[in-house]
Amino acid sequence: MDEVLSKVHALETAVKCRPELRKTLNDLNLNEAYREVVDLPGVEVAAAIEQVMIAIADTILRNEGFGYSLPSRGNTDQVYVEQLDRIVLKEKHTFTTFHNTSSVRKVAILTRVMQLIHGVLTRGIHVTKRDLFYTDVKLFRDQKDSDSVLDDISCLLGCTRNSLHVVASEKGVVVGKLTYTEDGDEIDCTKMGIGGKAIPSNIDEVDCFRSVAKFVLLVEKDAAFMRLAEDRFYNRFPCIIITAKGQPDVATRLFLSKLKRDLRIPVLALVDADPYGLKIISVYMQGSKNMAFDSANLTTPDIKWLGVRPSDLDKFKIPEQCRLEMSQKDIETGHHMLNEDFIQQNPKWVREVKMMLASKTKAEIQALSSYGFQYLSEVYLPLKLQEGDWI
Amino acid sequence: MPPKSKGAGDKNLKSKSPAEFFQDNKGIAGFENAGKSLYTTLREFIENSLDSAESIGVLPDVDIAVEEVTLSQYEDLIGLKAHVRKDSALYADIETDKEKQKRLKEEAKAAAKAAKGGKGDAGGGGRKGGAKSFFRITVKDNGKGMAHDDIPNMLGRVLSGTKYGVRQTRGKFGLGSKMALIWSKQTTGLPIKITSAQPKSKFTSRYVLDINMEKNEPNVHSAEKTPNDSAWHGAELSVIIEGNWTTYRNKVLSYLRQLAIVTPYAQFHFRYESAGGDARQNVDATFRRRTEVMPAPPTTTKHHPSAAKENQLLIKDLLSQTREKTLQAFLNKEFTCISKEYAGRLVAELGKGFEPGMSPKEVSDTQGTRIQQLLCDARFADPDGACLSPAGEYNLRLGIMKELAPDWIASYVGPALASQGHPLIVEACVSLGGKDVKSGFNVFRFANRIPLLFEAGSDVVTRCVQRLNWGSYKIDKNNDKIGVFVSIVSTKIPFKGTSKEYIGDDNTEIAEAVDRAIRGCATQLKGKIVRAQAAKERKARKKVLTRYIPDVANAIAIMISASAEAAEPPSKRCKWGPGAPSNGGKLWQVDPVFEGKLLEQVRNGDVQRSTIERKLSDFVERMDSEQALEHSMQNKEGLSETMHLVPTGPVHKFAPTVHHPTCAFRLLDTLCAGGFLPRGDLK
Repeated sequence: MDEVLSKVHALETAVKCRPELRKTLNDLNLNEAYREVVDLPGVEVAAAIEQVMIAIADTILRNEGFGYSLPSRGNTDQVYVEQLDRIVLKEKHTFTTFHNTSSVRKVAILTRVMQLIHGVLTRGIHVTKRDLFYTDVKLFRDQKDSDSVLDDISCLLGCTRNSLHVVASEKGVVVGKLTYTEDGDEIDCTKMGIGGKAIPSNIDEVDCFRSVAKFVLLVEKDAAFMRLAEDRFYNRFPCIIITAKGQPDVATRLFLSKLKRDLRIPVLALVDADPYGLKIISVYMQGSKNMAFDSANLTTPDIKWLGVRPSDLDKFKIPEQCRLEMSQKDIETGHHMLNEDFIQQNPKWVREVKMMLASKTKAEIQALSSYGFQYLSEVYLPLKLQEGDWI
Repeated sequence: MPPKSKGAGDKNLKSKSPAEFFQDNKGIAGFENAGKSLYTTLREFIENSLDSAESIGVLPDVDIAVEEVTLSQYEDLIGLKAHVRKDSALYADIETDKEKQKRLKEEAKAAAKAAKGGKGDAGGGGRKGGAKSFFRITVKDNGKGMAHDDIPNMLGRVLSGTKYGVRQTRGKFGLGSKMALIWSKQTTGLPIKITSAQPKSKFTSRYVLDINMEKNEPNVHSAEKTPNDSAWHGAELSVIIEGNWTTYRNKVLSYLRQLAIVTPYAQFHFRYESAGGDARQNVDATFRRRTEVMPAPPTTTKHHPSAAKENQLLIKDLLSQTREKTLQAFLNKEFTCISKEYAGRLVAELGKGFEPGMSPKEVSDTQGTRIQQLLCDARFADPDGACLSPAGEYNLRLGIMKELAPDWIASYVGPALASQGHPLIVEACVSLGGKDVKSGFNVFRFANRIPLLFEAGSDVVTRCVQRLNWGSYKIDKNNDKIGVFVSIVSTKIPFKGTSKEYIGDDNTEIAEAVDRAIRGCATQLKGKIVRAQAAKERKARKKVLTRYIPDVANAIAIMISASAEAAEPPSKRCKWGPGAPSNGGKLWQVDPVFEGKLLEQVRNGDVQRSTIERKLSDFVERMDSEQALEHSMQNKEGLSETMHLVPTGPVHKFAPTVHHPTCAFRLLDTLCAGGFLPRGDLK
């Protein structure tokens, strides 16, 4: 066993030796102004909301109407900072006013949602986005409308989305050699059956990570996760298995980030060999553009791409019928990825993407099942780990 | 000539005359069934009439009559005596007992269905499929007529015509009216009647003729000349054919309506008379002339050199037919877009064996191929659209405004382009709104100023309309009433398929031109729509803003009163207050003095929900009047002021003042330069 995992050990030691240095924008002394948010306790966020309201009341009483100075979150305002290895938001504002017919609705929704959040914060509870929407369906009309202002509010107040105490429904799942406390309850992830433990939306309550795991295995798909959980892969190779069932949500990203910071063990990713799989790694690593202002808390740097990589298709002789032709859109996304900074800085990744685009074929993790359903857990992964075949 | 079969030849070898070929393949010319044949016959006659009148510069005036002919009338016409049946069982339309049972059953079923609310079968107990209906179609125009001696050949010989050549015409193949004759011969056996007079002709020609299928020759029954006392000119054609009015009634009427759109300078009078004397089914419609401006008639032009790409034989044909003496003159004169100097360069490029002065007759076959190659590869200017006669933006607009009465209309004319060596112009109009227009797309297609009614789904125009992203022009493709009119004119319309019903979408040049034209219109409309929306928004603005006031005021009031109730003001509770190191304090600034004052006001009830609500309403009110003023400044409406213009020139002499209940005015006695009629006097 130790023999198989020797390379993983080496990687783990390397990760542990590296000084844990989360650079923040303040450390960098950059010329341009960027905007980042911080975790704030509920009472402070509530006070901040009240301050905004008092400022607004001031302008209203002076007969000047009112509006909010919101950070611009357009495509050009989101930039990748190499020193930080993640996307951050530029410091730029647009003034959204009540007296403009195109923005009045947004301002009204923003004000109403702030009031609701203020109520939630003063009571010290958490609500879901859905709860929020249902408090005033008449005004919000569509849940998208009430959801979208949440990002604006956290930018405006300078706090993380999490500090607003509004959570999304649970999506991520974890299983493996991990124990932690959630809201005072002891959770043992080895005793979670084959379904795994749902990653709580409210990550604040998660604490005291303890683990003997040597690495974290990040899985793109639910199906592969189930296979590994059922085969008790983590008993043979001490690890923690996490999946967000596709595009990762905020809670899963926060959980992984916290896990990595506390345990300091390597993170290996098992995704489909297509541009979309790569995109998922990129969201874990450098953050999504949508939430650029909160990238400091949400991202996990230094994820290793274990598989399934385009080069694996030939290496493991994946039969033709399991390989799929890339659609025009896939190829476009692929070319787009090639130009992304986070791919560019790793020449090995560039090589893999180029290989995928040249062959114009992609494959899912399930392609490995052509050698039997348990090929993934019994042959593929152990071989990969033994060879230290990650990039 | 049909070869006589000799002993050695295959006995089955036969030759067909063109007339026989088209008789067998009627679908090619649009004579698939009785209904379509009625429509096509009308169409061919009407289009010939328009061409004929336009060619002599006369405003077309076309009388169309469709009269139903009963079976007994028909039998009288062909001289068949009504036969009294002796053995009734012999006839297919007499029911056998078995059939009777079946019919009764079906009728019972139909009756049950009708009782549920559906409309009963119009035919009652009659046999629907067996009944044929016959129609006399008469089309009379005021065109140039036909020369007396030419009439038999012009109407009794398939593939003979006056419209061959590189020129924009409605008809092209010399097929239309002859096909009608073939159809009438085949279905009724009755000949065509022609009355014609040329302008200034002293006599009127009257012919009765049909066609000899085997020989593709006219078969004249009678020909006579009668005096033309009324100085009439034009032609009147009358045939009796089998047809189907009920199913093609709407097609015929919409054809006429669309024709009226694209030729507003023509007058059509259409009359339908049913046989039974049932006046309810009769139609009498006049499509009035709305302008006397007629587009310039198309002129005959030469081939564009790029036609060599499409037709390998063209060069050789032209070489053998030309009257030019030298090769250079041949290239210069027989093609468009080749100047004399350019012809010289082309000849030099042709290489060895070619001289500018050589006679076109001396050019060998291989040399002909070389010329063709060069013409394919060389660069030429696009053909000139001057030889074409597009409908014209004015005419199209006029027609659309009359027929649809839209809210908005925009038109666009593209530049002439070359399509397979033929000049081609695309014109488009896009209209929005209107009466009796259904929501969504209403596509009207015209080719060489003929409406196209069939095969709309595959047509390039329909496809372009569907492909276009209307949303980017602020047009809602599902709910707006969009009228799209595209008229394509060319010396050769690249129709797809055998009947001239649609233009394929695979022709990228045309597809792009159509797309450009529609976009051109949509862009014009967008400006108008945006302006109208802005005006509407300005009007609705106050209402929209006011709607959100209660929500906002309520939310703010709740939050500040919560703040007032708290033990400490928010600035004390929040570490990230003004001057905080991170982003916290940057976005808002609260003056602690104001904070204290406001919270105090909230506590003693000076500031509450209603206060905020009132302040916001006042603000919206003020903004609205300010914006209204600004808007009228930009649009210069309501700001004009009546001015009195003082004459600056020499003193005018006025004629006596003319009085009328509504106004009084004085006319200048002599028109003096530099003077104005004072506006005050107009009152």
